[in-house]
Amino acid sequence: MTPGTLDRDRLFAARLHAARARPYLATALFALHVVESRRVPTMAVDRYWRCYVSPAFVDRTPEEELAGVWVHEVSHLLRDHHGRSDRVARERGLHGPGERLRMNIAADCEINDDAFGEGLVRPEGAFVPEDLRLPDGQLMEDYLRQFRLGPLTEGLAWLDCGSGADGLERDWELGPDGAHGLTPQERDAVRFRVAQGITGRPGSAPQGWERWAEEAFQAPQPWRELLGAAIRTATSGSGAGQDYTYGRPSRRSAGVPGVVLPILRRRPPRVTVVIDTSGSVNDAELGSALREVAAISRAVGGRRDLVSVLSCDASAGVVHPLCRAEGIPLVGGGGTDLRAGFARALRTGQRPDVIVVLTDGQTPWPSSRPPCRTVVGLFPRPRPASSCDEDDPDYVPDSPPDWARVVEIGSGPGGR
Amino acid sequence: MPRYPNSSQLDVAGELLALLRDTTTEPRPDSQLEALTLTVAADLPVLLWGEPGIGKTAALTQLAATLDLPLTTVIASVHEPSDFSGLPVIGDDPAEQGVPMAPPDWAVRLVRAGRGLLFLDELSTAPPAVQAALLRLVLERRIGSLQLPPGVRIVAAANPRASAADGWELSPPLANRFVHLQWTHDHEVVVRGLGGTWPQATLPRLDPERLAASVEFARRAVCGLLAARPGLVHRLPSNEARRGGPWPSPRSWEMALCLVAFATAAGSSREVLSLLVRGTVGDGPGLELLASLDRMDLPDPEELLADPAGAVLPERGDLRQAVLDGVVAAVHNRPSRDRWDSAWALLVRALETGAPDLVVVPATTLATLRCEAWPVPAAIEKLAGVVSLSQRADRTAARVQARVAVGAQAGR
Repeated sequence: MTPGTLDRDRLFAARLHAARARPYLATALFALHVVESRRVPTMAVDRYWRCYVSPAFVDRTPEEELAGVWVHEVSHLLRDHHGRSDRVARERGLHGPGERLRMNIAADCEINDDAFGEGLVRPEGAFVPEDLRLPDGQLMEDYLRQFRLGPLTEGLAWLDCGSGADGLERDWELGPDGAHGLTPQERDAVRFRVAQGITGRPGSAPQGWERWAEEAFQAPQPWRELLGAAIRTATSGSGAGQDYTYGRPSRRSAGVPGVVLPILRRRPPRVTVVIDTSGSVNDAELGSALREVAAISRAVGGRRDLVSVLSCDASAGVVHPLCRAEGIPLVGGGGTDLRAGFARALRTGQRPDVIVVLTDGQTPWPSSRPPCRTVVGLFPRPRPASSCDEDDPDYVPDSPPDWARVVEIGSGPGGR
Repeated sequence: MPRYPNSSQLDVAGELLALLRDTTTEPRPDSQLEALTLTVAADLPVLLWGEPGIGKTAALTQLAATLDLPLTTVIASVHEPSDFSGLPVIGDDPAEQGVPMAPPDWAVRLVRAGRGLLFLDELSTAPPAVQAALLRLVLERRIGSLQLPPGVRIVAAANPRASAADGWELSPPLANRFVHLQWTHDHEVVVRGLGGTWPQATLPRLDPERLAASVEFARRAVCGLLAARPGLVHRLPSNEARRGGPWPSPRSWEMALCLVAFATAAGSSREVLSLLVRGTVGDGPGLELLASLDRMDLPDPEELLADPAGAVLPERGDLRQAVLDGVVAAVHNRPSRDRWDSAWALLVRALETGAPDLVVVPATTLATLRCEAWPVPAAIEKLAGVVSLSQRADRTAARVQARVAVGAQAGR
């Protein structure tokens, strides 16, 4: 092989090894179109699924490491790092090449913490969260908040995974009009096939990929908006909130004799928040969720005196109106029985229009539907591996019932 | 002497406005407008989801002009439910004559014209009772006692949950009746438009020659998928993030079938079809339908085996591998020496025109299909590179193993 030309055999043998080590990524690996390029330092991808390869890099890298690089680059595309980088840049106002380099590093951290091992070697110089003294297992968006360019990242100015990793177009890329690019529909089709391959054979891929596959085709929906929408819908439904009624004629009726017009009538919704204060829910989670509920109920026109809060573990506490809220005692600890909380919320004074439950779900639920709308904010807990409980191998905690609208709280904005 | 006397300041302003409005248009393909046009042509209720101020109304104006339909815009949030369900008018003797529900004037005009485009804007900020009245209008095409004629097409628009202050969302049964189109703005189009050149979308034309073939194609595509995947026929949205969006049911599959036929007859691109199908049955089932359309597009293994020399294989690696796997599977199903030899010829062709690693798995499988009596074809020699590539990957795997073992010994 003459120096300077691309050693295709070496490159493709590495891809073959990568596809054997990660069968669920084979479709994506094969969908990449290889472009030989002398201007990219190592290997890079653009958002059109072209893979730019430096011949010199291929020559000096052992095949086993090259396989790792293949998987790394294709992961950027599958996890939509370019789209997510653009979104983060817009949301947080991050501009300039320095910020894009940070996005590339954060994206690398998200991939590298669980991409290697099991038949794949970590390539020389691959960046992991540990290098930034950060914990494993987080999303790119989270890593991005936790480090700045500095001594720890000094050696990384050369790092360049292409616009596929950070959304910034490079001048050596072929761009949207170049040959062999994938259309958005084709990109989605490839990502979908990979996701389907992973969900179709559970257990074949690491947990990070399984989560990605579950969420790959959902628009990122932060829990705050979901919880807000659920509570707003519950509080503005018939019987609560603002609606038209023929109960009293409209004042406009005077101008239209003979026509009966309805009027807009307003009845602020009553909201009771039941908080699971068992030992398994921590204070920070509770605090943020409670603040959120209060803000939402104010936004829908709930007066503060109509929002009350009830803490509940194995037995229900006292109902506190939110207007005295700054110091609501959240008493509890130990096990939970939310049935008591529901009973107490419904027994107290005037019945609420909406019950909002904040819990981690490790509780029995009422067997029948309560006579009001229910929204459950669920703190995510790792699903216990099947039959890990030696005393009762059949024990599975009840999932929230069908009649409640369930919003998972605290999970990041999707994408992985 | 000034050109304009002081008294005609408004004329000067008028001239300035005329200059500002003097814009030109340029042809430009626009997938979302094409999708909207096809849905309107197919007479399905369509719901545009988009942030406020993004040009939904402008798009509708253009669509109405192109389809030569008068446009009636109704801002839902400033109306009362009775404006859509009819105003009760009490006559002399209600017990005897009943209380008629009088329709509003725009509805009367629309019915009299017999045709038109009715645009219901700002659905998401209207109170629930207004929405309930509107949905009857959309689904049953009735306003009070008036029935809208078939020449009237209805389009609705809503703001996404995140930006809608009142947070209205569709309940699953209602969401299932709409084709959901996400409306986004194209940065480049906006900048060029403000500079004086707006896009002139070339709208799809249905080809009368292709109608029958389109229906046949659409039926084959949808029935083929649903026969193989019965679970996709009906699936209620299971989690919170998917609520209010499209989901699969027999009703929405029927709409999807209709849209596939329309898109095929119009010769639309895959992008447009993707918008339509995913907006009707949801992302997952929609993508599965598109994937099965992709497979329908792939060359037929039997045709490839019949003429390996003239075979054209797809350029994209993953599709190419799917085709080669299909060829090997075809040989496996009906083995004969001729077919086996043809398959080798195809693999050689694939090796000569694309990446070698794709050929490894099909070649290995094909080799195991050999009957003892069949001589080894000469073509196999050309595949020696594939064998060495495969061995190279094996050696790589072995080196990885060794590295792990060394690492374990070192206590890492």
